[in-house]
Amino acid sequence: MTAASARRPPAGAGATAPGRASLTRMRPARLAHLHLASRRVPAALAVLAACGIVLRIALYWHWISGTGDSAQGLPVMIEGATAAVIAVTTASPFGEPERATGRWLPYLRLATALALSLAAVGALAAGAAAAGLDDGTLAILRNAAGLDGIGLLSAAVVGGGLAWAGPLAYAAVAEFALVQGWTTPWMWPARPPHDLGAVLCAGLAFTAGMAVITVRGARDAAHE
Amino acid sequence: MTAAVPAAPARRPRARRVPLALPGRLLRLELRRTIMPWILPLIVALFWLDGYHYAMSFPPFWGLRSPVLPDRAMVDFALFGAGASAWMGSRDGRSRTTDLLAITAVPRWGRQLVTWTATTGWAMAAYLGCVAVLYWSTARQGAWGGPPLWPVAVGAAGVAAGCALGFAAGAFFPSRFTAPLATLAVFILATAVKGGSGSTYGLISPVAPQGSFRPDSGLFFHYLPDLSIDQVLLLAGLAVAALGALGVPAASGGRWLRRSAAAVAAAGLVAAGTAIGLAGTARLEPYGVVIPALHDAASARPIPYTPVCGHAAIPVCLHPAYRAYLPAVTAALGPLLSEVTGLPGAPVRVVQVAYLNPTEFATGGAPTVAGRPALLRLPLGFAVLAQQTQTEFLLSRAAPVIVSSVIGGGPGAGPAQQAAEAGLLRAAGVQLAQLASMGSVYQPPAPGSPVYAAATRFAALPAAARHAWLLAHLAALRAGHITLEQLP
Repeated sequence: MTAASARRPPAGAGATAPGRASLTRMRPARLAHLHLASRRVPAALAVLAACGIVLRIALYWHWISGTGDSAQGLPVMIEGATAAVIAVTTASPFGEPERATGRWLPYLRLATALALSLAAVGALAAGAAAAGLDDGTLAILRNAAGLDGIGLLSAAVVGGGLAWAGPLAYAAVAEFALVQGWTTPWMWPARPPHDLGAVLCAGLAFTAGMAVITVRGARDAAHE
Repeated sequence: MTAAVPAAPARRPRARRVPLALPGRLLRLELRRTIMPWILPLIVALFWLDGYHYAMSFPPFWGLRSPVLPDRAMVDFALFGAGASAWMGSRDGRSRTTDLLAITAVPRWGRQLVTWTATTGWAMAAYLGCVAVLYWSTARQGAWGGPPLWPVAVGAAGVAAGCALGFAAGAFFPSRFTAPLATLAVFILATAVKGGSGSTYGLISPVAPQGSFRPDSGLFFHYLPDLSIDQVLLLAGLAVAALGALGVPAASGGRWLRRSAAAVAAAGLVAAGTAIGLAGTARLEPYGVVIPALHDAASARPIPYTPVCGHAAIPVCLHPAYRAYLPAVTAALGPLLSEVTGLPGAPVRVVQVAYLNPTEFATGGAPTVAGRPALLRLPLGFAVLAQQTQTEFLLSRAAPVIVSSVIGGGPGAGPAQQAAEAGLLRAAGVQLAQLASMGSVYQPPAPGSPVYAAATRFAALPAAARHAWLLAHLAALRAGHITLEQLP
């Protein structure tokens, strides 16, 4: 999307009063469309679907070897990648002007992050469906939600462009935690799916990430 | 009026620097502008948490700690190196400055190579720093011999390849999603090849579980570098191919530059293909992986050393690298060796031999008694690698072999031999019931059986009486002429 396209008047602009009423009805949809386009959400959805397909291929071709904790390594990394994709969609190409004028921006950010998180869980669950992933959909939901929260928090701290490093770094540490059998609930991918502490920690990370990204948005890096 | 002084002929302005200085200036700029320094603390923290702690959990042997470099350390650095490089490679595309920069003096390919060099340079410096810390810690703990450098080279080549592949991905697909996807792709590449190591082709993966190292590499025999050379060839080939591919598009420079880039890319692919082909010819030998085309026969020569020996009646002699284990091994085997000292068939010395392969737990890596005079040949690596108590583990592996060499036990042994064998083991403090759980093939007599009762009786004898009886009756016992009732 370009600034020119954003300024382009919508169809019917400058018409008579009934036309203006129609424009008012059109605005939310157009605003949402422009917001999603500026964050590359369609491409993000395609990448999330690709992550689900990669998980499916990994399960089908037995890239995931072993059982138990050792079998969780690649799925956790793929979940980290989906969270990284969601995190980088928070980067705004407009920066301060959009912040200053976008009244609906917090709602759009919340809706976008929520929708992408749901899409990520859906893609991963579809990829793992009927393929015998050890910990099942419940673990995917918990891990992906927690990793999404870390990605969104990273975006608020280091900016949307570099936010991919946060969830992937967490996933890399989680690989180590899986091997070493860490029991802290803050390393939720290393805990069983029904571990209440791990669920709470992942939920807390998700909630914090959503809240921060809704209220503050991603940090705009000056050099990007 | 004066004659005008003719102005001195204007000297032709000299270029202040030769054009070759330009890449140097560009490199300095890129070293400051790359995001790698911001990612490095994260990578170093991962290495400290993962690779360093894992390596330091092993005893200070180069053969145990060095394999961490091409495995965990390389993956940590290559993962995020690929992501950061993808981010840098996609910079022009994301900021839509590709056309603007096309009119600069340096061709696009040259600029990209400088950016990659700066990004990879940071990662390489940090990687080598981490290697230095690991090797320094290992040397400080008294590791015997010199540090192997080929694993360092494999790791460095892996870091360069990861950065090159990530950079190329970023340059060809400039998007905000490229960096995380490049990171995931490198992880999947490592995991998938690691999992699919059914043939010798799988050995070429630096993270393959069956690598070039053996636990005693560099102690009894030289470390075989064949597989490491092949891995460096593959990784360097991939890096060169990716970097060459950057110069092939029309916007990269002039015709000859693009042709040169294509030639470089082709050379890289040929090198990588050659490395994969060579991996197919690899053989798993006791002392490492041999690739005939890369093998140097000199590296298969044994390393001379002077063993360190204890002072017991049957002395225990170990490789000097295992000097710290001498008291523990002597104490573990001492009670049993004192039981058999002076008996015909008993070993006169315990000598350490190379522990060749982890799979030898099941295929003959156990201690053996052989030679005239008899020597107990004891591979010790298993005891060092084992997480169990060394005394129990050593006894479980060595005790049945020692006793069997004296009593003549085994599948065809008579009841009296079995009872004497079990009695000797029990007298030496061996927990018969736990032998099987520690991987021993020894079959203890069933509790309640006559053999078990005779063994209990024999074990209860005073050590001197037992030893005297064995001295007097050992030949008859081995020949099967002693019955259970005749056993004291």
